[in-house]
Amino acid sequence: MKHAFRSLGLAASLLTAAAPTTRAQQAAAKGAFPYAIEQSQLPNGLKIVTVPYASPGLASVFLVVRAGSRDEVEAGKTGFAHFFEHVMFRGTEKYSKEQYDEVLKSLGAAANANTSLDRTVYHMTGNARMLDKMLEVEADRFQHLKYSEHDFKTEAGAVKGEYTKNSASLYTQLNEKVADAAFDQHTYEHTTMGFFKDVVDMPNQYAYSKTFFDRFYRPEYTTLLVVGDVKAAEVNQLAQKYFSGWQRGSYVPNMKAEPAQTAPRYVHIQNANFPPFLSLSYKGPAFSDQSKDLPALDVLMTMLFAENSELYQQLVVKEQKVRFVGGAPNMTRDPYLTSIRASVVKADDIPYVKQRIVQALEDAKTKPIDQKKLADTKSALKYGNLMSLDAPDNIANALSEFIWLSGDAQSVNRYYGLYDQVTAADIQAAAQKYFVPEHLTVGTIGPKDTGGVQ
Amino acid sequence: MKQTFLRASLGLLLGAATITARPALAADVVELKQPNAAKVVVMLRFQNGSASDPKGKEGLAYLTSQLVTEGGTKELTASQLKDKLYPMAVRYGARTDKEVTTFTFEFHRDFLDQFYPVLKGLMLTPSFTPEDFARLKSNQLNYVEQVIRASSDEDYSKFALEDQLFRGTRYQHMTRGTAAGVQSLTLDDVKKFYAAAYGKNNLTIGLSGNYPESFVQKLKKDMDALPTATVKPDVPKAAAPKGVQVEIVSKPDALGSAVYAGFPIETTRAKDDFAALMVANSFLGEHRKSYGKLYDKIRTARSMNYGDYSYIEWYEAGGNNMLPVPGVPRHANYASIWIRPVQIAEGLRKQYPAELGDLKVGQAPFALRLALREMDGLVKNGMSKEDFELTRTFLRSYTKLYGLTSAKQLGFLLDSKFYGRKDWLQELDGQLAKLTLDDVNKAIKKYWQVQNMYVTIVTDDSEAQPLAEVLKTNTASPMSYAKVVREGLPKEILAEDEQVATYKLNVTNVKVVDTKDTFK
Repeated sequence: MKHAFRSLGLAASLLTAAAPTTRAQQAAAKGAFPYAIEQSQLPNGLKIVTVPYASPGLASVFLVVRAGSRDEVEAGKTGFAHFFEHVMFRGTEKYSKEQYDEVLKSLGAAANANTSLDRTVYHMTGNARMLDKMLEVEADRFQHLKYSEHDFKTEAGAVKGEYTKNSASLYTQLNEKVADAAFDQHTYEHTTMGFFKDVVDMPNQYAYSKTFFDRFYRPEYTTLLVVGDVKAAEVNQLAQKYFSGWQRGSYVPNMKAEPAQTAPRYVHIQNANFPPFLSLSYKGPAFSDQSKDLPALDVLMTMLFAENSELYQQLVVKEQKVRFVGGAPNMTRDPYLTSIRASVVKADDIPYVKQRIVQALEDAKTKPIDQKKLADTKSALKYGNLMSLDAPDNIANALSEFIWLSGDAQSVNRYYGLYDQVTAADIQAAAQKYFVPEHLTVGTIGPKDTGGVQ
Repeated sequence: MKQTFLRASLGLLLGAATITARPALAADVVELKQPNAAKVVVMLRFQNGSASDPKGKEGLAYLTSQLVTEGGTKELTASQLKDKLYPMAVRYGARTDKEVTTFTFEFHRDFLDQFYPVLKGLMLTPSFTPEDFARLKSNQLNYVEQVIRASSDEDYSKFALEDQLFRGTRYQHMTRGTAAGVQSLTLDDVKKFYAAAYGKNNLTIGLSGNYPESFVQKLKKDMDALPTATVKPDVPKAAAPKGVQVEIVSKPDALGSAVYAGFPIETTRAKDDFAALMVANSFLGEHRKSYGKLYDKIRTARSMNYGDYSYIEWYEAGGNNMLPVPGVPRHANYASIWIRPVQIAEGLRKQYPAELGDLKVGQAPFALRLALREMDGLVKNGMSKEDFELTRTFLRSYTKLYGLTSAKQLGFLLDSKFYGRKDWLQELDGQLAKLTLDDVNKAIKKYWQVQNMYVTIVTDDSEAQPLAEVLKTNTASPMSYAKVVREGLPKEILAEDEQVATYKLNVTNVKVVDTKDTFK
């Protein structure tokens, strides 16, 4: 149902600076990914994935770099992965910024990039017959990016402009506060846009930008993914031609583990002119294609917050105390947040709405799950997934998620294979393991100086 | 992909103003068969939208369409229906624009027989319960009163521009309506509007994907049970204002100034010269592309914001969509310039206290001057042969991406009919191929100008008055660079800055409006 998807989409978009996918569209039961995945690798570590798909004359080319705001481990450098995404459009020795633009324009492709917690993705959808040129220019900038200090400083202004545009949304502001409160050690404490003070300081970080490129824009961090009217042999041959000279690097970020949270945390934004809002974020699992935890949480949360759920029917339809409620686990490399969000009609009802949601999560820990509901939910996830894979860019988007999560595109089949095995007992176990009161961060927006839920 | 067009009835003429009182005109059908697809898409397009809202009932068309898709049917309550559809992961919803409302249903071919009775029930016998009505009306009012003011200043400035451009017409209000309009809506209004607006005589049926021929016949026959529509959208003929008229919306805690400028133009996809104007527009400011002149000069060279684009028709949700979406065809058209939020004085003073500590006004006047000067330059000098060729090459490939999914292809086919065309996307390639540089430069001269237009700026309350003063008095607005940027700028840019700073805007009126007073 469109609205359910839309509100989940909103929820997902609260978590990343420019997330193109929504969790709601992932997941399938069996048969999993409906298209063949052909993989190969260059000696330097670059992975190449081809998915032939009947989109006559069209293809999507994605370069997935497994570096995102998660990898910003140094103080004062938050937001850099995203900033670097911008810098990547500033030209090379061979193609100046203007020449690169001219080539892109002549290709007539839809090309852009986006950054999130765990990755930066560069994508281009266009004429499949132009594949050679597409790969040539991409390989060139990934290996030979060249930008002046002036260009770098200039681009910093555009990033501040992006922050400025995003900050108009109170959801963006709340998202920043929740992440900052929920994490003390892990880099997930800052959003992909970065802390504002670091964004403001970006013009002064030219030297560091060279280090950043040197660390992460390396073949072992990168996968070339091509979906559409192409053959694997052609893609592999072009990858060999343009990327084989790329030198492997050696950097591995030193990630700090987040210590276990021992008490609930609270953040609040006071604003009387905005719909009251409640978010409940529990520490969740990291992505794994071997563990049933994430699929179990996905099934459970779909069940709990779908439009036909008891909770939705009560809060949204009958009592009309809530405008929308939704939630889904996030798929991330390290343990992140599993969040539930509700737009509440009257701020005074926030405590009640919180109590109802928490009760539903508690019930899931002990009450047996209806087998038909379980089967229906798996069906909903499977068909939702199949229906969203209907264009080369959509397919590439869906598959790229598994590439950045595990480094292996086939992970998509292993992960979706787990959904078949999820039992009622797995769901109860996941609820007990993750909906822990001490692991909760509560975010609220309301007219008073607190959210009234502490 | 095989495309079949069935023109089931010649009775339905095109265009919003052509609905006649002739009874029992069956719906047109547009088909896009894809025998290998997993999914089926059904679109029901009615030629009524928010420009059909009765006076004082602004928001009625939107609420009615939402109530149809959010409610139940005669056979199933909304909750029973949601239970039934849950395992199928069916997606459906309504999009209400100014002149059309489109109901889109997307489902897997496995569920064709199970889902169809629901589709039929929703369209022919919607439940319209008081509970659903109260809930959806409350959500809509909440959007109009609160959400739009505090979510995206870009959408806000765009809707505020339409409020100026179409003031006094049925195009003025947002599709979701005005605060007073939504407040006044009753369930009875919805029932009446449903009966009057969704008729077999103003319906086009769109079908794509994998379905049997018998399905087409059944759908057509069932939709024949719809009544004859008796209302139609009131399409305005907007006139250009005298001079440049600016409205500044002042709100608390805005970090930037979001700018939208526009003026009416009398061309749409229905006309052949639209393709010529597309080339000029793509050159000046292709949506979300770094190749446009506006983007190049405002963002790339000067680092003023996140992006700058131009348009020659409505672009739905430009902040989210990279490519245009169908379902928003309009007869009353305008050209516009979108300048994403630029820095205000307060922010620049804080970031660069040493060099910009005395700054009174942020970068909005400079950005606006620069954008209009670029457009002006094109009007005076036209495009070069080289730019024309490259931009045309780009568009001939790029427009093929408009219909990446079957639902989008189908939507563009329905839009084609609205404009009196068979398949605009396909015809467009031929139109672009035939174009000459002269055609493009003539179209620019015919439709673009910078002397008379509306401008809307949503900004912080600290910026509103100083900004109004600069615009009112046409005071020079030198670019306020940080030292780190200025130091490395080429001479040509600095020289151009001098020209831009004093570029004369034909401002005839500047008004500051409090955010509380918008969309009332």
